[in-house]
Amino acid sequence: MSAGTHPVVGIEAMNVYGGLCALDVRALCTHRGLDLPRFENLLMQEKTVALPYEDPVTFAVNAARPLIDALSPEDKARIEMVVTCTESGLDFGKSLSTYIHHYLDLPGNGRLFEIKQACYAGAAGLQMAVNFLLSGTSPGGKALVVTTDLSRFALADANAVQEWAYSEPSSGAGACAMLVSDTPHVFRIDRGAYGNHAFEVMDTCRPGPDTEAGDADLSLMAYLDCCENAYKDYARRVEGADFRDTFGYLCFHTPFGGMVKGAHRHLMRKLYKAKPAEIEEDFARRLGPSLAYGQRVGNTAGGSIFLALAGVIDTVDLSQPQRVGVFSYGSGCCSEFFSGVIGAEGQARLRAMKIAEALDRRYRLSIDEYEMLLRGESVVRFGTRDAKLDHDILPGAWPLTQDTPHLVLDSVVGYQRQYRWV
Amino acid sequence: MRVMDSDDIVEIIVRHIRDVVPELADHPIGRDDAMADLGVDSIERGEIVVATLEDLGLDIPLVQLHGPRNIGELADLLHDKRAA
Repeated sequence: MSAGTHPVVGIEAMNVYGGLCALDVRALCTHRGLDLPRFENLLMQEKTVALPYEDPVTFAVNAARPLIDALSPEDKARIEMVVTCTESGLDFGKSLSTYIHHYLDLPGNGRLFEIKQACYAGAAGLQMAVNFLLSGTSPGGKALVVTTDLSRFALADANAVQEWAYSEPSSGAGACAMLVSDTPHVFRIDRGAYGNHAFEVMDTCRPGPDTEAGDADLSLMAYLDCCENAYKDYARRVEGADFRDTFGYLCFHTPFGGMVKGAHRHLMRKLYKAKPAEIEEDFARRLGPSLAYGQRVGNTAGGSIFLALAGVIDTVDLSQPQRVGVFSYGSGCCSEFFSGVIGAEGQARLRAMKIAEALDRRYRLSIDEYEMLLRGESVVRFGTRDAKLDHDILPGAWPLTQDTPHLVLDSVVGYQRQYRWV
Repeated sequence: MRVMDSDDIVEIIVRHIRDVVPELADHPIGRDDAMADLGVDSIERGEIVVATLEDLGLDIPLVQLHGPRNIGELADLLHDKRAA
């Protein structure tokens, strides 16, 4: 890169971590007596459920460690920013980045902070890192951006379980770690190609540390409004952009696959008055691959667009580079449509992370085991001063069965979380 | 030509409900019914509202259509938006 040319930036390396336990979502719906006659249309299969000794830090660190281990000491020394994107924070002041930074043994001369805007947080974090690099203030610098979220709302009381009912089947857990730099092997950002749409709306919120409330219809309408208008803002900025032709693949925020399908249909009708058969074919071809991981871990909030991106990169033919359009929506609300390019080299690098194999190894929970976890008797609640975690709660799920080192929560001492490698 | 009233809009909504959820083709549906009670899921409700807006030639933010508790109230709201 020389002065006067535009730097190339984006995602150098990425990994997805989907936890230790999974639950069959159809079995959950049946158990809850949810009448979902067209369950298949919702495009949900499994969701990750967090164990008491898993928290947003363990998810984040377990996602990031393979990326950090692969770096030379010189490259590791260039990580100058750790951005955690989450709506599952553990403290009002101290960011999760401080723990992540410590357990990954990252250099001390960096910026550590946390970003919140519901499921939009991940896109916001990536754009902060991208714009840090594009600013040119620290040439060759790198940023670690980690999305990490889990859902443990229902343990507050019976009322909370009731409020949560509308999203319980889709609420998952997972983290995505991304190294953002000027050597974007995995996803090269289209510089300046983005569009936003945002307004105040009370569609979904987390009014307390263990509760979530929301209105499915309002959230769906806000998502559809944002999808249309964020794309239109993108098209206003990017000369010649055409939703149908510009992007080989698309990744939309995925609370569950059915939502993505609805938004795609809305856009295709609104922009092109497309007919059902064309919409169906286009969805299967350009959006189908993006559901590969989301439908196995559930909604991962800020991480869902990156799980979608990982699914596309891992599963499609990339003998030719492809442009991917990404739409992120976070309740409340803020949204963004942006794009970038993926190719064969990034595919080889991402496949080395063996994301699907790790998801296959998760322990399959029975409904009884899930409900035991949901009661939350051994969960460390927000604001706990001291605690010792029971690692024998579900012996079959203990990460000794995994093939890489795993971070687990061990205890809380004077509000400080203590973790250990297994 | 007669001006479209709220009942005409109910008819359009019901037609789209039957279109999106073929299982309801022969099911009686009226103003007092709520789509959720008929077994129409949230994605399908969104699709029905979008299709109805298209028919009415209305281009407004969807979040403005939040609140009605049944098909009749939705039709009344759409009727008002059309007149506005």
